[in-house]
Amino acid sequence: MGIKVVCASVIGKSNNPLYIRCFDNTEEPLKFHYIVHSALDVVEEKSTAKKGASLDLYLGMLYPTEDYRVYGYTTNSKIKFIIVVQEDGDSHDQAIKNFFRKFHVLYANTVANPFYTPDDLITSRKFNEELEKQVKTV
Amino acid sequence: CGAVVMAQKGARPYDRIGEQVFAKVDKINAELFTLTYGSIVTQLVKDYEDLGEVNTQLEKMGYNIGVRLIEEFLARSNVGRCADFTETAEVVAKVGFKMFLGITANVTDWDAEKKEFSLVLDDNPLTEFVELPESYNKLWYANILCGVIRGALEMVQMKVEATYVKCVLHGHDASEIRVVLKEILTDEIPASMRDE
Repeated sequence: MGIKVVCASVIGKSNNPLYIRCFDNTEEPLKFHYIVHSALDVVEEKSTAKKGASLDLYLGMLYPTEDYRVYGYTTNSKIKFIIVVQEDGDSHDQAIKNFFRKFHVLYANTVANPFYTPDDLITSRKFNEELEKQVKTV
Repeated sequence: CGAVVMAQKGARPYDRIGEQVFAKVDKINAELFTLTYGSIVTQLVKDYEDLGEVNTQLEKMGYNIGVRLIEEFLARSNVGRCADFTETAEVVAKVGFKMFLGITANVTDWDAEKKEFSLVLDDNPLTEFVELPESYNKLWYANILCGVIRGALEMVQMKVEATYVKCVLHGHDASEIRVVLKEILTDEIPASMRDE
């Protein structure tokens, strides 16, 4: 299939990072932090572009770099999910959409934990493990 | 051969009764229930700060629920008098838990005198989505259930102590409540009403 998610992140309402996890051990994590951060500008652009029309939650490809492509997904509560993937050939839009949907459900389950305050850093072990599983089966 | 089949059916009528009663009662949304209980626990933790005290408060709340819940249970389930404590255990596990939480518990680990048993819960709607932070080892999150058991059984003339011994939130495979029969009460006013 040729998709590999190398980084997944959750960004909060004020563009504060709540969770950044890199799955590629060969690269420096800081590089992905930088990529995600720059992607936020594109997210802003896309969110304010269509005036009045309802926006799909899935934002599509935000921008390409040499080896990677960055995809975004936003929610009505201003929480953004940004992933960096390595893919060869055509873009597998449907698979990415599915991944975001499951990622969103996973996030909702984590927020349901009464000991987690929204806008905190996500430190849940369950979240980590589940995300790993999902990344493997993209 | 026919007699063996009859004996088996007779031994587990409570599963069936539990299902029947569960089908008849009103249901509410599970997430609403879980989140409500979660906010009760976190508020108690904020107010009392000492986790042991939170456990005590949860148990007391459960007790107050139990003494009232038993009436609903007896009215809806039509279960007759239990012959002995072993039957009580089955009724609590199969009919009581099924009716109010939608789950069945398993009764295990009876002691020699049949005065103590364990209730094993494989899953529990109260603890859905919950992850305890590291410093919360002393907290028995669903301790309200121990109080409910104690309150309900006291109203049917049994004084018991119920305590959590294992909990899935602490990493165990299943949750376990140990119930110990202290004494059979004979027509006394329950302690809660006597003190007031």
